Amino acid sequence: MIELRGLVKNYGLHAVLRGVNLHVKKGEFVTLVGTNGAGKTTLMRIVATLLKPTSGDVLIGGWPLPGHADQVRQHIGLVSHQALLYGDLTAGENLQFFARLYQLDHQTDRVEKALKEVGLAARKRDPVSTFSRGMIQRLTIARATLHEPDILLLDEPYTGLDQDAAHLLDSLLEREMDKGRTILMITHDLIHGWNLSHRSVILNRGKIVREVNRGEASPAEFLDIYAENTGRRAAARVGG
Amino acid sequence: MSKQLTEKKSIFSVLGRSPYAAAVWAIVWKDLQIERHTKQTLSVMIMFSLSTVVMFNFALETNLDAARNVATGLLWATILLAGTLGLNRSLAIEQENRTVDAILMAPVSRSAIYIGKVLSVTLFSIVLEVALVFIFIMFFNKPLWRPQVLLILVLGTIGYISAGVLITSMTIQTRTREVLLPVLLLPLSLPLILPAAMAVASYMFPQTPTWGEVQSPILLVIIYDLLMITTGVMSYHYVVES
Amino acid sequence: MELTRLDRNVRILNWAAAIAIFIDLAVIFFYAPTEKTMGNVQRIFYFHVGAAWVGAVAFFVALVAGIIYLRKPGRKWDTLAVASVEIGLVFLTMATVAGSVWGKPAWNAWWTWSPRLTLITIAWLTYAAYFMLRGAIEDAEKRGRFSAVYVIVAFVTIIMSYLSVRVLRDVHPVVVGDTAESAKGAAEGLQDFSGVDSMRMVISLNVSVVAFSILYAAWMANRIRLQHLMDETNSLKMRVAARLQGDHA
Repeated sequence: MIELRGLVKNYGLHAVLRGVNLHVKKGEFVTLVGTNGAGKTTLMRIVATLLKPTSGDVLIGGWPLPGHADQVRQHIGLVSHQALLYGDLTAGENLQFFARLYQLDHQTDRVEKALKEVGLAARKRDPVSTFSRGMIQRLTIARATLHEPDILLLDEPYTGLDQDAAHLLDSLLEREMDKGRTILMITHDLIHGWNLSHRSVILNRGKIVREVNRGEASPAEFLDIYAENTGRRAAARVGG
Repeated sequence: MSKQLTEKKSIFSVLGRSPYAAAVWAIVWKDLQIERHTKQTLSVMIMFSLSTVVMFNFALETNLDAARNVATGLLWATILLAGTLGLNRSLAIEQENRTVDAILMAPVSRSAIYIGKVLSVTLFSIVLEVALVFIFIMFFNKPLWRPQVLLILVLGTIGYISAGVLITSMTIQTRTREVLLPVLLLPLSLPLILPAAMAVASYMFPQTPTWGEVQSPILLVIIYDLLMITTGVMSYHYVVES
Repeated sequence: MELTRLDRNVRILNWAAAIAIFIDLAVIFFYAPTEKTMGNVQRIFYFHVGAAWVGAVAFFVALVAGIIYLRKPGRKWDTLAVASVEIGLVFLTMATVAGSVWGKPAWNAWWTWSPRLTLITIAWLTYAAYFMLRGAIEDAEKRGRFSAVYVIVAFVTIIMSYLSVRVLRDVHPVVVGDTAESAKGAAEGLQDFSGVDSMRMVISLNVSVVAFSILYAAWMANRIRLQHLMDETNSLKMRVAARLQGDHA
């Protein structure tokens, strides 16, 4: 579903991604972890068609980027730590807008159904600015999956959520997985990501340094692997 | 695409069959809904214009004769300044929760997004202009309430907002954000306002001018509109995509 | 290395420009006829037209560089656009100052708000604002992209100025145009020559335009070379900084 080969992204003289190779199969849930500035968000924005790669091949659902961005856009949905919703519009209007933008059929039914699925049917007519962080994140998922994308991209979706909201998000993500969506998630919470996904990928200084399947290690072992590969200890020594 | 709008039947459901027009309308519809809830853009633009008109009167020391001679200039100056507020507000909305990313991730032409934004800000500006025309008639006793004058105002607004949406989409992404807009946009729009103000001024006399007397400035305004819309449609994706 | 080739070209162009301007000055002061009404002050007119011509060319070059940059982003096109706008602004300023000196005896005022003069001011402001935009963007890629779009939009003001002065009434003489326009322009500009003198004036004008064009080319080469040196310095600084941070990659 997602295939990156030798992906490079430079900002001027500064190289953010330095030859990333990644393959995510259909229906797979992959978590992307790494220190700040490792290039996670840049990678995500390239896959989301929001950023053009400097060089390398990006294939999403078989379509190359940036050449076939419009075909790719039909098949991806993004949930980021920013809401990507209009605070001044109601929940219903927000979804209605994106239904219009994607030119979906049966817009009203779809919006109703999507709101029901994330448990916000009762709040349809309330402006999003009155929502709690958890409710906004649920609505964000409804927005990102309104056009039934094959691929769901999640950029730090747990930021700012309390325990209950996080649990609710967990169950929503599990449902998206059951629907057969391919999921690529960025997270800071190593263990949480490890537990949710099939595979964790460690990105360090613009390169993938290690991929670990869930069957291969215990959560504690994974933490060790992460520390080894990101050089966090070494960095602490040098920087100290 | 077999698409059936289940919502209210309107002329827009006919337009909506073209995917491009549907995307344009989605943007306009959304901006109108936001305005319906907040009423912020229009109220800010109108309040600002009122203060400006009062300030101008103060500067002219209520010398009505002097004020009358410069009324068309004042009218355009007010529209330009209020326009920058409307533009900044309209594009800042998309930055607030990064909704611009969500729009850009939709499979719609970037120029449709541009046209949608131009239309919605132009609509707000036209409402403002109608209000301003009344205010100016009241304060300066000028025959502004002529269909030709309104037509010139609308033509000028289209060109101004076309340039404005393109420029604001850039300035909103810079370090100085809102501050930079007037510095870039006002000089760019003056070649439009110069003939537009001339054309409006020709209608300030009791007798209606002939087409021959106003055709050159009006044609200049139309040429500017066409040049700016073309530039905007062709280059908007360079402004919003990185 | 590109810089050595550039260095040689810069040296050649510098000499060519110096010689061309020297010849131009000689032509203006010793060959061009003395105008009957205004006298020697009129000679500044050759300078004014030369500078105004280069200004227009410079902005057109910037437009083309901007379009190419958007099609095929490359540092050199951005550099070309910046250099051209910068130099265009200098020539536009020169043309305005020279025009002002000429306008004092011709119109009995340094400045009038006629459409053309207003539009020149607008063009000047538009291109000066180009640097405000550049200054507000740190990321080089974004700066190049936005500047390219802006320089294309800005050229609309040049097109509009050109159209406006042809369509709206103005006191400024029309120099670039058909014969009837030019004759009318010359009359409006209070330039009174006999037949032979008129020919000499046209020749002087052309010499001026060519000389100023060579000067433009020389300044462009210098400015581009300067940009290359600045880029080189920056990349060296980056490498030193990276080394100091212990990033050997």
